[in-house]
Parts: sequence; C-alpha cells; structure tokens
Amino acid sequence: MNETINENVIDEVDVKALWENTLVDIELEISKANFSTWFKNTHVIKVEDDMVYLSVENAFVKDWLYKKYHKTILKILRNFVPSARGLEYVIKKDDKKEEGGEIKHNVNKELPLSDFYINKEDNLNPRYIFDTFVVGSFNELAHAASQAVVEKPGIVYNPLFVYGGSGHGKTHLIQSIGNQLKKRNPNTKVFYTTSEKFATDYISAVRSNKVNTLFKEKYRKYDVLILDDIQFLSNMDKTREELFHLFNSLYDDNKQIIFSSDKHPNFIPNLEDRLKSRFSAGMIIDIPSPDSESRMAIIKLKAQQNKLIISDEVVSYLATNIQGNIRELEGILNSIICQSQLKSKVLTLSDVKNLIKNNVKPKKSVSVKDVIKQVAEFYNLEEDIIYKKTRVKEVVKPRQLIMYILREDFNVSYPTIGQKLGGRDHTTVIHSCEKIKNDLKVDSMLIKEVEQIRAMLS
Amino acid sequence: MKIECTKENLVESIAVAEKISGKNLTLPVLNNLLLEAKGDKFFIRSTNLDLGVEIEVQCKVHREGTVAVSGSVLHGLVSTLYNSNKVNLEVVNNNLVVSTDSNNALIKTVPHDDFPTLPTVESSKNINIKAIDFINGLKSVWYSASISSIKQELSSVYIYNNDSKIVFVSTDSFRLAEKTIQIKDKIDDFEPILIPLSNIGEIIRVLEYVGGNIDIKLSNNQISFISDKIYLTSRLINGNFPDYKQIIPKEYTTEVVILKQDMVNTLKNTNVFSDKFNQVSFSVNPAEKTFTVSSKNENIGEVTDAVDSAITGEGLNINFNHKYISDCFQSIAQDSVSFEFAGLSKPVVVRGVGDPSFFYLVMPMNK
Repeated sequence: MNETINENVIDEVDVKALWENTLVDIELEISKANFSTWFKNTHVIKVEDDMVYLSVENAFVKDWLYKKYHKTILKILRNFVPSARGLEYVIKKDDKKEEGGEIKHNVNKELPLSDFYINKEDNLNPRYIFDTFVVGSFNELAHAASQAVVEKPGIVYNPLFVYGGSGHGKTHLIQSIGNQLKKRNPNTKVFYTTSEKFATDYISAVRSNKVNTLFKEKYRKYDVLILDDIQFLSNMDKTREELFHLFNSLYDDNKQIIFSSDKHPNFIPNLEDRLKSRFSAGMIIDIPSPDSESRMAIIKLKAQQNKLIISDEVVSYLATNIQGNIRELEGILNSIICQSQLKSKVLTLSDVKNLIKNNVKPKKSVSVKDVIKQVAEFYNLEEDIIYKKTRVKEVVKPRQLIMYILREDFNVSYPTIGQKLGGRDHTTVIHSCEKIKNDLKVDSMLIKEVEQIRAMLS
Repeated sequence: MKIECTKENLVESIAVAEKISGKNLTLPVLNNLLLEAKGDKFFIRSTNLDLGVEIEVQCKVHREGTVAVSGSVLHGLVSTLYNSNKVNLEVVNNNLVVSTDSNNALIKTVPHDDFPTLPTVESSKNINIKAIDFINGLKSVWYSASISSIKQELSSVYIYNNDSKIVFVSTDSFRLAEKTIQIKDKIDDFEPILIPLSNIGEIIRVLEYVGGNIDIKLSNNQISFISDKIYLTSRLINGNFPDYKQIIPKEYTTEVVILKQDMVNTLKNTNVFSDKFNQVSFSVNPAEKTFTVSSKNENIGEVTDAVDSAITGEGLNINFNHKYISDCFQSIAQDSVSFEFAGLSKPVVVRGVGDPSFFYLVMPMNK
C-alpha cells in the first residue's frame, strides 16, 4: 500500500488514483451524509512540493473541510503520499469551459444581443460579399455583369437574370451585389427575398385585405430588389401577376431588379410571355458548373478562410473527384477540417480518400423510364405517347432526344434503346442520335434544352 | 442552553433564517436552524451551502449552549404565541423547551456537530453602503437575469463600481437592465462580481430586514454583508459577464415618449390577443403622429391600440415580446418613459424620462 513517491510532482493519472484511494478511506471514517455533502465534487488538482492542492466547490465546503476534516484528510493522504506536509483548498472555477479563450469567444457569438447574422432591413447576409466570391472562367461573365450593375445600378443590365444549377453561387453573387451597393451608399434601399417569402408576403397581404398598403407600397419603395429562386413562382399565377406589375413599376423608375433561378426563363413552366420578354430585356447569364481549375481555386480559398492547411495534391484530388456542386465541395471541406482538428494533424491524401469514401453520395443510377419521364415532363407530353408509333413532330423530337441522351450519357446499346422505346429498330435509334448530334451544332435552343434535361437528371 | 427574549425579536430573526435553511437531502442537519448562546450573545444560524446567514438576537443568556432544531417548527410555534411577549428557550435532555407564562412546548433537537460554520471573507477593502441602495440596485435589474442555469454568468446580477457609483446589470440575452447607484461616501474599488440569481431574493429579504448601513466584504468566490446584528454570505459566480456595452445602440433614429401608465394599460390590453410568443407590434408613424401597439393571434383575433405620444425621428414597424417590455416598468419611477429605437435589427432602449440612472434594453423579435 505504501507507494514510494520519489518525485515531488506526481502526474495526473496518479493524482486521480491517489484521491480515489483517499476517498475510499475517508468514507469509512465519516458518516455517509457528511461524505456525500462535503466530498462530492472534490478533486486533487496537483501534488507539488509536498503540498496537496484540493479543488472544492465553494467557500462553504472549503471552510468546513478545513475546520472539521483537515486532520482526517491529511492523515489518510499520508498513507499514500508519506511526504505530504500540507493541504491547500482551492475553490474551483464555475465555468469549466473558461480555460480556453476560444470558447469564451463562442459564448459571445451565441448571444443574440451582440451579434445578428442577417440584417432585417435588407435581408442580406453580410457573409456574401465579392471578396469571398471566387471568379473562374465559368462565372467570369456573371461576375463582370454583376460588377457593372454595382457601377450603374438600374441603368445597365436591368433586370439582371442569373441562372444556374443548385450550389453554383447564384445566391452568393446576387447578395454580393446588394451588399456592395449598400457599402457604396448606405442609403440605398436594397431588399433581398426568396420567391417563397415573396409569395407568402403577398398571400398574407391578400388575406388581411391590405395588398395596397402592406405589399405594393412595401416593395415599390426599394431601390434595388433581389428576388431569389423565382422558378418557385411557376405555379402561383396571382403572385406572378403581382410580380409583373411590381416589375413594371420598378423598371419605369429605373430601379435595379435582380433575379435568380435554376433555369433559363424560357424553360420555367407556366411563365407568361410578357414576363419572359421582360426578363430578356436586361441581361440573362448562365453560371454553369465550375471547371476543375475553378474548383481548385474555390477549395484553396475556402481552406484559407478556415485556416486549413491542405496540400496541392489533395486540392487537385478533390477538384477532380468531387463532381458535385460547390456546396458539396464545401461540405467535404468541412468534414476535412473537422477531422484534422480532431486528429490535430494535417490530413494526407490517403486520409482524405478514406474520408471522402463515406461522404460522397453514390452516383444516382437512372433508369430508362426515369429519362423518358423527365423528358416527357420537360416537353409537357404524356409519357405513353413516346412509346407509340406516332410521328407527330412534337413527339418525334423528344423521342429522339431520349435516345440521344440514353446513348451519350448512359451508354445504353442501340438495340436496347430501340426495344425499350416501343420496339423500334436499332437503325432508327442510330439515325435519331445522329440527327440530334447534327442539330446540336446549329440549334442553340436545343443545346439549352439538353443542358436543362441533363441537369434535371443528375 | 437557556435564554430569555422578547417574542418580536425572536420571530423576525427566525423567519429570516428559516427561509434560507436548505432542503438538503444529503445533509439533513441543514434543514434546521442552529441556535447558539455564547457569552452574553445569542445567534441563529442557517445555511443551504450556497447562502448562509447568522443573526444576533437581543436577549438575556442564562446558560451557554448550542442546539439544532427544525426552523419551520420553531417559527410556527413562536409566531403563534399570542398572550405573552416574553419567551424562554431552554435545552432539557436534548429537547428544546419553549415556554411562556402560559404556554409550554417541547421540540426535539437533532445532533448539531455536523452543522457547518459560515465561511468568512478576508478582505481589507471596505465597502460601506446603505442597505436600501443595494436593494434598490438589485431590485431594478434582477428580473432580467436568465432563469436557465445553462449559462451561470447570465443567471446572475453583475455588479461593478465606477468611481463612486455602483452599477448593477442583468441580462438573459433577450433584454438587459442596468441601474447605477450613486454612493455618497467614498468606497474602495472592487473587482466586478456576479451574484447568483438564486440567492438574490433571499439577499434582498435579509437586507430589508437589516436596514441601515452594511459593510460588504468581497473575495473571488464569496461575498459577505455585515452589520451589527447580521452576517450574510453568498457564493459568487466565477465567470465573465458579456461585454454588454457594445450592444447598446450609440444613437437612435426614432424616439417615442409616452406616459408609463398608458403603456402599461395598452400592453395589458394587447396581451389579450398575443400569440404564444407574446408578440406585440409597435408601429411608429411620424407623419400622422401616431404610435400604435397591436397584437394578433391567428386563432383568436387581433387588436390595435393607439397611445398618445410625442414622436421624433423616422417611422418604424417593429415587434417585441410584450413580457419583456412590461417587465421594466417596475424599475421606472417616472411618469413618462421614452422608447429609443435604432432600427429594425437593433434593440430598443427604454428609460424613465429625466432619470439617467436606469435603462433597459430589449431585442426585437424576428418575424
């Protein structure tokens, strides 16, 4: 039982064991009530220069232990640390988390009083600014147009219509315009809203019979209106009509209007021609998927922002292997950051590969039926009609497109395609694919349509 | 132990001490009061290990001694003795005999060896202030402290000194109250302290009982209030209060001045329709010179109430939790209050007109 302690300082594990042993003996000496009241939550902090430092909960405990149990504790402690000379009581800090400055900072961040994230007057998220927007060849044009809008709001490119797939940076770009305009002139009345919120606003205004006061006046007073994801308005006729009037009124006053959507206006279902033509009056720009150089730039910037050290090898691996959108890229980077903080080391390429294995969503397998369904939906056709022998122009083109996509994107054999599409000959399929291929060279509309369909399938 | 004292002296002291005696399950002796006659003095002590009090009761000591008895029983007994003003307490065979001319009662005692002493606070600094001032400071802010115990530093009253002023602050991160108390006599500077909210109610009660001037002693973990007849000590919270100054809007864009009573009535009225978030909407229209308060509940209905007011600055529509607004009126003695708005996302500052010592800040609600 008598351990020989030669060193003055006992390491942490020993200290813990030492106190546990001491407690067992103390428990035998005093009543249970006293033991659980006074010795609960006590710890030995350290043993140094023959002094034992005991952490206690508060001054009451400190006082009472000293007055009543000091000798008992010391006597028992000497069984384990024969050299122990004295016992010191230290009142522990209430907030265990206080140890690192970092946590304290977080405490502040959580306080809604000190920090608000989104400015309620303009709805803009201050995080979205041009400084953090990575410009690559894929979004150069969109970026340049946005900059032009910031220079001369309401004059060039009005309205600005940005479209592209999910996670390609539309929201970031259009909010950056708002934030930049605000920065230049804090009196500019900028307002950002999503279509969903816009529609809800309209509906609640209608319900309370205050369309004029609550809705019209509110939106018409803005200098810059940013409306995100307007494809969601496709099945809200009345809201679209209101948008049309709002658009006219703002446009006539040379107020800048910015829209974003996941499709070109021509492909938003149910969109009236009068709105389409108005959107086309300004500037319509596409943000396609980022190319791999841009992905690398994005990864590097995000890593830098998060103070993550990451090798070029890993960067290029991520850029080529994560085919998803920028948001997915960010997600994977976050898990890398988390992992490297957890293991407190810089992750190697093989670590990253391992990590990604669990993170990347498996490539979605698409059945022939899915393709047919999507295309039919896109062209507003009944699915059944595709299989029929009809040679109406409106059906032939989608049917050919289906064959082309099945062949090009999914490598289905010609005979199988023919068979799946109502028992057609493989030569028919070959002809169709050739036809679409040739058409694609000249018909820019068709290119857009194929892109849209591919986006829908992925 | 044998003492003789007046009923009034005894009842009051027992009432104060009894409230503090804890409901401690692990150490049952703490549910009792410790009565101690020493020299020619008689003390009543109680503690819940968070807060402790020792009260000296004026009386005649015939025989020294110490005993622990149930506080509620003793209080119940002594406070209902009607026909005599003189009470004798005597320990006979481990029982406490309480007797008057006509009444004779016996209370079982419990072993008092385990009854803890109260920690003393060693400090050379002397802070001597009027109990009433300290109570006023606590009462003006403590309702704003957080009830949840997740963040101890918020579930407390923060006190610091600034020249010859003592500042009391509380916040639960949705609203904040600050009260500055001017001290006439010079006091020593002290480090900011955090008194736990759970002890504030009892501290106020004890200080109200003491009255007069009190000495305050501070250490890192403990605060004591000392007067000639009482020693009260409380644990302090060892944490950092958020830097609240940075959230106080430096300037305001809209100011509304109204009669306090009007606002109190209006909030009572609109509260009838407020939803489960207690939301009320303030609408300021400088052009029409109107200030209206409205609330709406999808299932019940809605109400709008216009309040006579003096408005300067811009128009505004903003929502608040009505409870947070109405809470502050208890600390405002003035008849008129001013609401200073600094925009939709900034807190509103409420003050009594002409009273720079108090302000109250409420965060708006997001819709």
